[in-house]
Amino acid sequence: MSSKSIKQKRGGFFGLNFDQIIKYFFGGNAIGAVVVLLLITVFLFREGANFFPQNWQSVELYRKSGKEYVDNIREVVNDHTALSRYLQDLRERQTRALLKSKSLEETNAALADFDKFNNAFDSTVDDLRSLLGDLTDATTAIEDKFKVNKNMIEERSNLLKAGKKEEAAKVTVQDIDLKKEILPIQATFPAYQEKSAQLKKALENLTATLPVLPVKELQPRLEKFKNLTQQYLAGFPAVEQNLKSWDPEKPVPWYKAISTFFGTEWVTNSYWQDWYGLMPLLVGSIMVSFIAMLMAVPLGVCSAIYVSEIAGAKERNFIKPYVEFISAIPSVVLGFFGVAVLGETLRWLSQQAFLKWVPGFPMTERLNAFTAGCLLALMAVPTIFSLSEDALNNVPRAFKEASYAMGANRLQTIVRILVPASLSGIISAVLLGFGRVIGETMVVLLCAGNRIEIPDFTQGPAAFFQPVHTMTGIIAQEMGEVVRGSIHYRALFMVGIMLFLISLVINFLAQKIVQKYRISIG
Amino acid sequence: MKFKKFFTLAFGFAAAASVAHADTLVIKGSDTLGAKLVPQLAEAFKASHPGASFKIAAEGSATGFAALLNGTADLAMASRRAQMTEVSEGTSKNINLHPTIVAYDGIAVIINSGNSIKGLTKKQVEQIFTGDIKDWSAVGGKPGPISIYTRNTASGTYVDFSAMAMKKRNYAGSAQKMAGNEQIAAEVGKNANGIGYVGIAYIKASGVKALAVDGVEPSIKTVQSKAYAYSRPTFYYTNGAPTGLAAEFTAFTVSAKGQKIVQQVGFAPIQ
Repeated sequence: MSSKSIKQKRGGFFGLNFDQIIKYFFGGNAIGAVVVLLLITVFLFREGANFFPQNWQSVELYRKSGKEYVDNIREVVNDHTALSRYLQDLRERQTRALLKSKSLEETNAALADFDKFNNAFDSTVDDLRSLLGDLTDATTAIEDKFKVNKNMIEERSNLLKAGKKEEAAKVTVQDIDLKKEILPIQATFPAYQEKSAQLKKALENLTATLPVLPVKELQPRLEKFKNLTQQYLAGFPAVEQNLKSWDPEKPVPWYKAISTFFGTEWVTNSYWQDWYGLMPLLVGSIMVSFIAMLMAVPLGVCSAIYVSEIAGAKERNFIKPYVEFISAIPSVVLGFFGVAVLGETLRWLSQQAFLKWVPGFPMTERLNAFTAGCLLALMAVPTIFSLSEDALNNVPRAFKEASYAMGANRLQTIVRILVPASLSGIISAVLLGFGRVIGETMVVLLCAGNRIEIPDFTQGPAAFFQPVHTMTGIIAQEMGEVVRGSIHYRALFMVGIMLFLISLVINFLAQKIVQKYRISIG
Repeated sequence: MKFKKFFTLAFGFAAAASVAHADTLVIKGSDTLGAKLVPQLAEAFKASHPGASFKIAAEGSATGFAALLNGTADLAMASRRAQMTEVSEGTSKNINLHPTIVAYDGIAVIINSGNSIKGLTKKQVEQIFTGDIKDWSAVGGKPGPISIYTRNTASGTYVDFSAMAMKKRNYAGSAQKMAGNEQIAAEVGKNANGIGYVGIAYIKASGVKALAVDGVEPSIKTVQSKAYAYSRPTFYYTNGAPTGLAAEFTAFTVSAKGQKIVQQVGFAPIQ
């Protein structure tokens, strides 16, 4: 009987009692969060996944429209340009040497002979270059025609779907046979043969008599140039063979769609072929994050150790909120600070004579990976600091007491006992800080310099003072210009998916490390 | 600068919200036109058309075309013609891109005012921006690595310059992409080895000087006479012939009053 009397009566709100209302309120919010997250993830993957079929088509069209064929010839011209750059470099070296004792006018006069040689070398490729220009225009026209036609077909089918038969009949759709279209391109093969033979002859004649350089020490470089030219000429038959055996109908393997996405070229809105290669962006993002972590880890972890183990209550009450306050600065403000103040200051510093020993100094660009890295370090410090401090505080008091009881001093206790005991927590703090940094957009967009070229790592640490582009930066920069559903649009989503996966892996690792290596308390 | 645009945009939204029932013209596209010229035209236009309001976002011509194709703008500013693929993309979505020439512009090549170079040939400009030449000494200047500043890929100037000055070759990988004309001018002004390009309306920025190309200085006169190599028309694009407020604004822009503003801002008026 008593059980009946404590049973609550039904009624209230939609027949729910108070407890149930509370339960559904909180549960509903949790479900809402899960659903939103799920929707975002599904959207992200749905928009991005179509990239691969589209990219495959694009690579296939690259072959079928004859662009691939033309790029073989482009290679020959580009290699010539590379040799030309070698000569430019040689001129630069001579100028530097001559300027030590002469004025700029005298230097330019002394280099007149060399310039003549240089110009003569440059013009040897002119014929081939103009052929390449013609072929470029022709293949681009073929490709455009094909794409336009494809849009027309789409329009017609849209109209048919809408039941507008008359309008649909008006849309002119051509039957484009790419194989036939590119026959004139392939027909230029004899012209190529002739022009490359002329180029070969001209180069042989030209390099037979090398000019005498005003700077004697640099003469061996000119000899080397001759060798390089001979190597270049030796590659001609292979190119010819490639052109001869090139077949537009050869199927493009499916993995090309993926391998080009991990390629080293990100070229968009070009007159030639657009490529969506992740590498330059990934390298940029990782470099900037690496620099940031290099600074943020010691700062964050050491200040956490200080606050939790050494500082008195007064200091702690000052430092802790202060460091955590940094995370309240909006990233766009940090970015603006970087553009307006930090970049300029760093460059000024790098130009000081006493810092000349640092590799990469003086910096040529004020907006570079290092500038962005410095600012990102500021954003990572609060995360690393707070989480590391928590980890240190979670070490059981008994550990510390036991250590002191054994006669260890404070430094020994910190280094041998506390840090190892909380290492899993500190590592996950660092990982989460890394995750924070790699996903940051505004600072890198404003301060990293946005150069698409992968930094030149042959220069060693100097590479860190070069401008880079980042995954987050490219999305922010190119988002506005893409048409929904285009391959470029999908490529940006794919970059987003990669960022998502990176963050996911980092968070997963951080959690696993804490779980697995936590020292049992008790 | 980016922030300015951001504020224009934010202000536009605020304005749009407060006068939701009034006529609002959404304009997107070219930074060359949208950073200075179109806002000033809009101000003058508002004086004679009370109640009209504008939302202007200037982040590059491609963003304007994309917005027209996505149906999120009434009028697109463009410093280049629509590409063939953009036009056909439009027809497939039943959008007919209609151009109106509103002004002529020249793209000036600018360097730091401390640089001793006075002019370059077209060939040298091509070689520098494609990365064939990497050092100032190669064009007779003081040795130093050339820093290239270009617009970002959304920009019509980026595409136009590649066609007019670089024989449609790709930009050097070392080029740094900037969001707008003013940012390029600012970077070049602060980098002794910098080179970049801006619309002629922007050559008076501090610390930079415009180069003569093949001996011709960029100016409104040389652009108008087409003596300057890198001259181009700039456009408004609409879906079909402009209607309503867009038509009035376009008419105002090409009117004598509008063209006077065009000249004041530093563009060459249409004859």
